Amino acid sequence: VTVGREFRFPLDKWEARRRTAKLAWASIALLISGAVIIGLALGQSQAMKTAWVSDIVTAVPPATMLFAMRHELRPPSRGFPWGYFRVVSIAFLVTAGVTSVVGVYLLIDSLLKLVHQERPPIGTVVLFGRQLWAGWTMVAALAYSMGVGMLLGRLKKPVAEALHGKEEHAESRMNRAEWLSEGAAIVGVLAVGFGLWWGDAAAAAFISLEIVRDGWDSTKQVVRDLMDESPTVLGEDRLEHLPEKVKRAAEELAWVERAAVRLREQGHVITGDVFVVPRDGALSSGAELVAAIGRAAEELRQEDWRLHGLTVMPVEKLADDSPPRL
Amino acid sequence: MSLARLGAAAILAAACGLPRDPEGTLDRVDHGVMRVGVVHAPPWVVDSAGEVGGVEAQLVLSLARELGARVEWVRAPEARLLESLHDRGVDLVLAGLTADTPWAKKVALTRPYYTDTAAFGAVPGAARPEPREERHVLAAPPGENAWLVRVERALHAREREVPAMLRAAAR
Repeated sequence: VTVGREFRFPLDKWEARRRTAKLAWASIALLISGAVIIGLALGQSQAMKTAWVSDIVTAVPPATMLFAMRHELRPPSRGFPWGYFRVVSIAFLVTAGVTSVVGVYLLIDSLLKLVHQERPPIGTVVLFGRQLWAGWTMVAALAYSMGVGMLLGRLKKPVAEALHGKEEHAESRMNRAEWLSEGAAIVGVLAVGFGLWWGDAAAAAFISLEIVRDGWDSTKQVVRDLMDESPTVLGEDRLEHLPEKVKRAAEELAWVERAAVRLREQGHVITGDVFVVPRDGALSSGAELVAAIGRAAEELRQEDWRLHGLTVMPVEKLADDSPPRL
Repeated sequence: MSLARLGAAAILAAACGLPRDPEGTLDRVDHGVMRVGVVHAPPWVVDSAGEVGGVEAQLVLSLARELGARVEWVRAPEARLLESLHDRGVDLVLAGLTADTPWAKKVALTRPYYTDTAAFGAVPGAARPEPREERHVLAAPPGENAWLVRVERALHAREREVPAMLRAAAR
């Protein structure tokens, strides 16, 4: 047994991982193309500006994701004997922080525009020798970016589910929020067209709220991750039944009388402790116990592909409330 | 599905003739009175002997003719005029403004009707400052977008005549 093993993804998961990386690159490229196009049509609409920023903010998670993927599988070192899996959570923390701050800033900015009753002027542009209302080019740019967001969200979801990646899942959720934002911006620009000047800032405020909500959800999730929360069902707060599954598997071993399990997610992998009470007389010597523990650690790991470092710890007896039930 | 609905909405909107003014400036000016704030800034605005002329005044007068509107010149300091755009005290301000004016966020600037390069304000003894691109614009009340679009259309239609106007003014 080596202290601190490298983690290997199963073959099919490895494939999903490669797809994630590809999608991340594609996301960055497409989102930037959307940002450039919206930037060209920008003008003085607050909703446009907010949609533009939300476009850029949405490109941050795939970028940090790519960074995390480069590092999470580095073999454990002397300095980091548990490995680098947590880099995924750290990357996510950065994303959550950026998103929250930007969202709050944009929200305040939009509300101030409403309070000061700033009316967005939208004049004309000359495109290919034709002069038309700039609102139409804004709507076109937003519609393009909206299409990009919809496409990315749809492509990312199955990959996130295959990898059980919370970060990927959050990212696909963010893509959804992003194209919703652009839809809101389109409504805002059209409202201005109809002479409802407040439609622009109101749409911007709605978009900012979406960004803030993204940031808040992500922050909540990453904080729970870093708090060593027991594995949760993807995209929900519900706890998984994996600890119970491992406990049952442990108790099915002939030499185990009782077992207690605690697990935590570290990025993509799950680590934890299995406490076992050996059955009286099942093992005759210390050497046998050591061998049985080694085998148990290997066998229990087969319960789920994400299980990585399981420590099996023999104990004399277990209290009734271990692990805690609440 | 929702995209299709959105597209349908956009086409419907196009039929309604967007954009519209929140406060109906274009409707009011059309066959009415156009209140135009002017600041003497030759050759763009020339205010002499009670007559307002210059490139910007000529452009606005031709717009007024198209709309069948009577022009009422309002003479006041530039800051006062631009300020009053916010409450729609005037419908346009002509002051030889350029697109990089610090007022850009407070008022609705038209798209440039003329671009030239010029250098101003050499410090005595220092080298001549780099010539900058000057994009000449008019200022309109913020948010009155039908009016803004109408003004920009009139400016765009006469863009080519601006150099000739400038030559005539130099003579």
